[in-house]
Amino acid sequence: MIGLLSYLVFFATVAAILSIAVLGLNLQWGNTGLFNGGVVAFFGAGGYGTLILGGTPQADHLGGFALPYLIALSGGMAIAGLLAWGVGILTLRLRHDYLAIATFGVAVAFENLMRNAEGLAGGAKGLRGFERPLRQALGDGFTYNLLFLIFVLGLLIATYIFLERLIRSPYGRLLRAIREDETAAMSLGKNPARIRLAAFIAGSVIMGLAGGLYATFYAFISPQDVLPILTFQIWAMLIVGGAGNNKGAVMGTFLIWGAWTASGWGLSRFAPLEVQLYTGSLQFILIGVVIVGMLLWRPQGLFEEKLVVSQSGRAKHLKQQGVRE
Amino acid sequence: MTKTSFKRGVVAGLTTGMMMGGAALAQDCTTKIGAVLPTSVDWGKPIAATAQYAVDLANEAGGVAGCKVEMVLRDSQVDPKVGVDAAKALVDLDGVQMLLGAVSSGVSMPILTSVTVPAGVMQMSCCSSSTAFTGLSQEGKTKGLFYRTFATSGVQAAVGAMVARDQGYKSVAILYKNDDWGQDIGKLVAKDLEALGISVTGSVAINDAQPSYRAEVTEALKGNPEALYMAIYPKEGTSVVREWLSLGGTQNMIVANALKSDEFRDNVGLQYLGNTIGTDTASPRSESASAFVSQYTAKFGSEPNGPGLSNSYDATMIGLLAMEAAGTGATGTEIAAKVSAVTDPNGTPITADAAGFSKAKEVLAGGGTVFYQGATGNVRFDDNGDVSAPAVMWSFTETGTEETQYISLEEVDAFMASVK
Amino acid sequence: MIQNLVDGVLVGSILSLGAIGLTMAMHMLRFANFSHAELLSIGAYSALVFDGLFEVIYPALGSAIGPLSLTWALSLAIILSMVITGASAVLIDRLIFRRVRAKGGELSMVFASFGVAMIIRNILGLIFGLGSQLYSKDIVFAMAISRDPLLLIKPDQVFSLVAALIIMIILHLILSRTTFGYALRAVAENPTLAQVSGINLSRMILLIWIIGGGLAAAAGVFYGLSNQINPVLGRDLVLPIFAATIVGGIGSVYGAVLGGFLVGIASNLALVVLPSGYSPSVPFLIILAVLMVRPTGLFGEERL
Repeated sequence: MIGLLSYLVFFATVAAILSIAVLGLNLQWGNTGLFNGGVVAFFGAGGYGTLILGGTPQADHLGGFALPYLIALSGGMAIAGLLAWGVGILTLRLRHDYLAIATFGVAVAFENLMRNAEGLAGGAKGLRGFERPLRQALGDGFTYNLLFLIFVLGLLIATYIFLERLIRSPYGRLLRAIREDETAAMSLGKNPARIRLAAFIAGSVIMGLAGGLYATFYAFISPQDVLPILTFQIWAMLIVGGAGNNKGAVMGTFLIWGAWTASGWGLSRFAPLEVQLYTGSLQFILIGVVIVGMLLWRPQGLFEEKLVVSQSGRAKHLKQQGVRE
Repeated sequence: MTKTSFKRGVVAGLTTGMMMGGAALAQDCTTKIGAVLPTSVDWGKPIAATAQYAVDLANEAGGVAGCKVEMVLRDSQVDPKVGVDAAKALVDLDGVQMLLGAVSSGVSMPILTSVTVPAGVMQMSCCSSSTAFTGLSQEGKTKGLFYRTFATSGVQAAVGAMVARDQGYKSVAILYKNDDWGQDIGKLVAKDLEALGISVTGSVAINDAQPSYRAEVTEALKGNPEALYMAIYPKEGTSVVREWLSLGGTQNMIVANALKSDEFRDNVGLQYLGNTIGTDTASPRSESASAFVSQYTAKFGSEPNGPGLSNSYDATMIGLLAMEAAGTGATGTEIAAKVSAVTDPNGTPITADAAGFSKAKEVLAGGGTVFYQGATGNVRFDDNGDVSAPAVMWSFTETGTEETQYISLEEVDAFMASVK
Repeated sequence: MIQNLVDGVLVGSILSLGAIGLTMAMHMLRFANFSHAELLSIGAYSALVFDGLFEVIYPALGSAIGPLSLTWALSLAIILSMVITGASAVLIDRLIFRRVRAKGGELSMVFASFGVAMIIRNILGLIFGLGSQLYSKDIVFAMAISRDPLLLIKPDQVFSLVAALIIMIILHLILSRTTFGYALRAVAENPTLAQVSGINLSRMILLIWIIGGGLAAAAGVFYGLSNQINPVLGRDLVLPIFAATIVGGIGSVYGAVLGGFLVGIASNLALVVLPSGYSPSVPFLIILAVLMVRPTGLFGEERL
């Protein structure tokens, strides 16, 4: 029983961390229509940044500034934002597929840099020497994991509320206006390029937060954590959950990550002994079937985008009037 | 594992059990061990099959600590998140106290820091080579729970350089897999070669999953080296060597143990591999080693050639022996503490097969210690869970590989000191 | 340097063949098909099966053609494999893409294609094993075209290049001289208008899958001829093929051809400029550079 609970806490922590990244992507794609194919670069920048800033000094590479945890985490987010700023200036005028492949290229180059530049980030063997915050006081057993989950959930909720407010604000309407019709937005005197860049940076900073939490949780990060598969996983979570809908983004994450891990668990438990060795391939087939099946069943995702635009404002207004009458 | 051999295993296990009297009852219980290995990857599947084979042999010998052993196998997908989650599920849901895995250091490391060490579970990796584990252990953060049967790359790099010296090569080009193992061994071998006065004409990284290695091969050919040193895996190795030969590269090749692979030999062709000399950590000078090879060949239809196979076998065996030594219901910490009792140079030497396992059980039951003579050598761990081992040079043959020269641990050490 | 250029052209021809089918499907169906490269795997493996079959039935076919490692059996197998792969592409569309298309947006298609790629790759792995296989184990030595500067070329690759060029010319003739070609272009430019003028859209889609699949099969076999065949062949090739498509401009067949050669040359020249560890990033740096200058690729048109 305690084992199950311990596992669920662990699972929920990873899923919640990934949810934060999916929310960041939802701001970029779901709300602003930016096809970011390089999610993992910003996630990784946050992770590497956090560990370099907050880790203990290492002999053979940069970092180990041993900054207090929250400063290191914010630093990681800032590094992700800085990267997004540079990438955004170069690529955001590209459309859809072109933007996707350009940002994808950025992610491949990021992984390459982390893998080869040993002096910067430890090279292929990765970055260690990070002490998880408050570990001394809490140990690293179940209590720690539970408190860390609460910390992550707190940040997830904060991100969620921030984004919900943003979407409902005039600024959120502006983002969707740019997504739907850029020329119209321009005719209203708005500068789409600047606003797109701002949304891109904001989304990337959120991904950087997820990356920082992820690296904190494992107290380790290596180039293997920033392979393109993670970009795919995060996208699949958003698409299955429902692009444009924050609730969908979170649900999609738990669903896809759940399917991803449960398929392996189920096969290890129920597959006959003779096929145990083939379960690796079978698991990928199962995951593929789940994704394709979901898209066949509900191509718009679990939760459709709620078009709040200005109607909700008017409804509220009318209701207020109604109360007065 | 096929159904028939499973049945055979059970029957043999029962027979052995009955011979040992009361032990037959013990077969009613099952102890689970966990394995997180990349079964969806070409080189990962055989590693998992070998681990399962070692478990079967232990069951043939009547199981471990009175119980039958069940290995719960999970695919790591070479994805740290997936591997860590699988490990956590094995520890929490299946309650394993001993975990085999992972292969890549990038997966083994987060498993160690966030799953096995916090839960006090012993982790035994066959193939993770990163020096980061040594560092972590020196800082006391592994709590003595981590072991690996992958000998430090220094030995193989040194023996590789030794081959170049013995063959009289004046210039060597290096191709290394662009991961922690390859980067490490590539650098070490370059240093050793230069210390011997052999010029390194180029050191080229081979990245995984590239559609073509033509450019890398052209790059390595540039300096017109007399020989080629390779620390890469069979799939990439096949592509690289076929390109290399077809572009007129030399057949003088030195290869690390990752290319000790039937797939590589068959796909390149034995006729081109006559001047290829491999390096590996050594099997012990005893009959048990050849017994292991023939036993394995009978089971899988080929010699245990391929990256990490012998390491995987030893990792599993040592883990199981330690569980036996620690007794029923032992925790991960207790098991880990017993590793020294089964790799004790002063203990009774035991062979790496079912008979050896049975003998080890007797000795351990009598309170003695054993010295496991593994497929990768007289495995001995230092304080950090690292292995150092003697080395061999080998060459390809019709049926697999044969040893051409044995280099004892003392010789390796002396050589390594001389090139420092 | 010259060697790298020539190698780039030889590798590029394979990418071009793959990119043509991808660019056509991407333009017509408006989605980035990540499972396209798996068609190369299907092609390579079906040729492997037929090759073995033919050699068993008529052992005489097992002899190599001239200086190539290509046998008569394999050349026949290529044609059959093109048919099979084209049919598989149609089947996948019928089973999955058409249904998703009917209900969902472009992104649903992209991720459905990702799922499809995963399924195909792992089914191939289950059937044929995870290890590598070869059409011919013989190593055909490269011929020295010149000694200084050293220039070596493998006969197989020259054959692949010539065959790829012939296929491309045939395709060019079809697109520029036949009613089908006109219809195809009309559909690509404006599907609604094309339908109004009596073009059967679903037949066009069918043809595109058949052509794309056939070309992919040829690319897969040519790739296997000079490299090796394994279940992750598609995964290894998907990015360069996408790069070629994007550099050329989505929808442009000629752009795809040029893009393939550009990406091939870029990855081969990469090591001249950068340390070898960075070679995987090079195609993308090229793309980035091209897109900076031309945001819709070399021959792509602005599409709203």
